Amino acid sequence: MSSTEDDGFAAFVAARGTSLLRVAYLACGDEGEAEDLLQTALERTYQNWDRVRYDDPEPYIRRVIVNTSISRARRRAILRIIPMHTPPELPVRETDVDLRHVLMDTLRALPPRQRAVVVLRYWEDLSETQTAEVLGCSAGTVKSQASKALAKLRLASGGESVKGVIRNVHA
Amino acid sequence: MSTLEDDLRRLMANETEKLRVAPDLVDRVLRSSRQKKTNRVRLTALATAVAVAGAVVPVYLVLGPNSVAVQGFGLGEPVAASETSRPDATGQAVPGPPAIDDFPPTPSPTPDLGDLGDGRAFGRVEVGYLPDGLQWSHWSLDSGDSYTTSWNYDGDKNGFYCVQIFVYEGQTVREVDERVRAYREEKEGRDVTIGDRTGYLLRQRVGEDGMKGTPSIFLSVGEGRTAEVMFSPTFAKRLGGERAVDRELKKIAAGLTATG
Repeated sequence: MSSTEDDGFAAFVAARGTSLLRVAYLACGDEGEAEDLLQTALERTYQNWDRVRYDDPEPYIRRVIVNTSISRARRRAILRIIPMHTPPELPVRETDVDLRHVLMDTLRALPPRQRAVVVLRYWEDLSETQTAEVLGCSAGTVKSQASKALAKLRLASGGESVKGVIRNVHA
Repeated sequence: MSTLEDDLRRLMANETEKLRVAPDLVDRVLRSSRQKKTNRVRLTALATAVAVAGAVVPVYLVLGPNSVAVQGFGLGEPVAASETSRPDATGQAVPGPPAIDDFPPTPSPTPDLGDLGDGRAFGRVEVGYLPDGLQWSHWSLDSGDSYTTSWNYDGDKNGFYCVQIFVYEGQTVREVDERVRAYREEKEGRDVTIGDRTGYLLRQRVGEDGMKGTPSIFLSVGEGRTAEVMFSPTFAKRLGGERAVDRELKKIAAGLTATG
């Protein structure tokens, strides 16, 4: 690749890297893994840069991030089937900050595809059709997965307002 | 009144607001990509060197000490030259294996696939049928025992492929047979009849990049030669449903004939 193309790639990462890192973090729920996911996605993009740079490369990278994250989560889930130890009991929730953690934990604990739907729909503001394209499924599947995910998050919040949680965290 | 969806947006914004990419991210990506590319090139070169060395020795043994192996002008296969073409009867005729760091040049894209013309005849196969609107991409790759070319809508060699055909000969037939055997064991596709031949139809690499996989068919084209026809996932989507995709794949396979 020419130095001009390298410069173009570097400029793209400088402009959109942080935004993509946030998508990766929300998709996998771990900062270290998010950095790894982003680097993996960017390496694949760099290999195809002479092709993808003419279009908007961001949807391509987002797709790689989200699907790699789902794939890794599934592999981990298979490993978790093998019982290693008794999981610790969750502490009783006492404060709003705990509730915020509970919600984020619930988000992380969602099945990978449901979590991806939440991130793409409510963080990236993609439509159901666009989300379906990223995930390679139908818009109907996106709709049902989003509905299930929101039901779980609503249950986890115990009907309390998440807005109140955020307000208290900033207080 | 805010909805759970709005609250989630704010929660995710708060959760990620402190995240920033590392300043050396681009350097790491470039370094890692180049390292992987170097490794791939070395592995390819090493495999080529081993294949060439493996082919040269039997030729030398069969034809005797007065023969010399030279590089042919076909698909990269070494051919035996007669005694009269030998440059120096007393010289070191048979090249030894390359030194560890002395890798031969990496095989590069070459138009040396016979009469590609509009892309219908290449190597030792002829393509009798292609879906409407496709043109030869003016791109091909000759790796000796295997070679490939592709077709797309604009004929641009830098454009995306719609249809790509690999042809495997020699040693690579065994490798591709192994792949098909593994696919068959995993029940990833199905055997199909193409005229009097049997092919194997499947979707490869399902889920990669979130796509629904690469529709492909493997088919024997003459003795010791196997072809792999692939549709890009994007082109397959354009064709419509799975039945239309399978029908077009089978039509291309049916039109493939050996020319040599």
